[in-house]
Amino acid sequence: MKIQRKINLLLFVIILSIAAKAQPGPGQQAMEIALPSLNGDTLKLSSLKGKIVLLDFWASWCGPCRISNKHMMKLYAKYKSQGFEIFGVSVDNSEKDWKKAVQKDKITWLQVNDREMGEASTAMKWNVSALPTSYLINKEGKLVGMDLEGKDLEAAVKDLLSK
Amino acid sequence: MKKLLILLIVVAFSVTVNAQFTKATLKASGLTCSMCSKAVKVALEKVDFVQEVKVDIKSQDYVLVFKQSGHVEFDALSKAVEDAGFSVASLKASGNFADVKAAKDSHAKVAGLNIHFLNGTDETLTGEKTITIVDKNFLSAKEFKKYANTTKHTCVQTGVSGDCCTKEGIAAHERVYHVII
Repeated sequence: MKIQRKINLLLFVIILSIAAKAQPGPGQQAMEIALPSLNGDTLKLSSLKGKIVLLDFWASWCGPCRISNKHMMKLYAKYKSQGFEIFGVSVDNSEKDWKKAVQKDKITWLQVNDREMGEASTAMKWNVSALPTSYLINKEGKLVGMDLEGKDLEAAVKDLLSK
Repeated sequence: MKKLLILLIVVAFSVTVNAQFTKATLKASGLTCSMCSKAVKVALEKVDFVQEVKVDIKSQDYVLVFKQSGHVEFDALSKAVEDAGFSVASLKASGNFADVKAAKDSHAKVAGLNIHFLNGTDETLTGEKTITIVDKNFLSAKEFKKYANTTKHTCVQTGVSGDCCTKEGIAAHERVYHVII
């Protein structure tokens, strides 16, 4: 069973590295993100070291992201107290649209807004090519999973929290 | 004789290579958001003359780089987008032009394609230029109507050469792209 899991993980890493050459992948240190949060203060991804972090790129206009927010809500409520955090990066160009969606979806986790346009945008640096895109980050600030959902995501969060 | 042949080849070559399309910016639209899946990106990457597709998620653009050796055919891009379940909302293509005449409502052969300039300029185009394709299937129906109304030529409706074009040396029933510059 353990070997099987290791093989699966290895396969996952290989597939991921082939499929997304330019995209950051598991094993890599998470690139720094420093963007304005809801109250306007700059929030840094690196400030969350020591926690298990789900980094989530989304937008108010992205339907699948809004559905995913509902699922993340449950996960957040269940594991926040154990050291789990969600770092949501909205790529909305409109600050108003972003804040409205945060309110409507009753999001209580950390939120920042990627406001720079063009090459300098955080989404560009992370090579985000579809929404939502998410990364699971371990206590050392390393990327350990990408686009995990549902039971797979919860299992991975549980596993990382226990380490 | 041999020299003459080489000269002919050189002349023929310099005539056909009056321009080359190198990149393009494409927007896709549909019932769902095109940026919420990788379908459009993957479809565009499969087009034979496309070298690379970058996604600018904030401006919601697909930035295409074309292969240097490839023959760019814009219809292949709209077909790829449509096969992925979306439609092209805008396509701007850039390339290096060399002495391309682009008078208003005139036709020109550009990078092997028949191009009809709906607006235009009295100057010849040289250097890096960007054109916007305004044929059906490359923008919204409303925008198409707006551009189609700027010319009396019937080829704008069909995208295929008609009487208007054959006068300017284009064979009948050839694909003609309508553009603005």
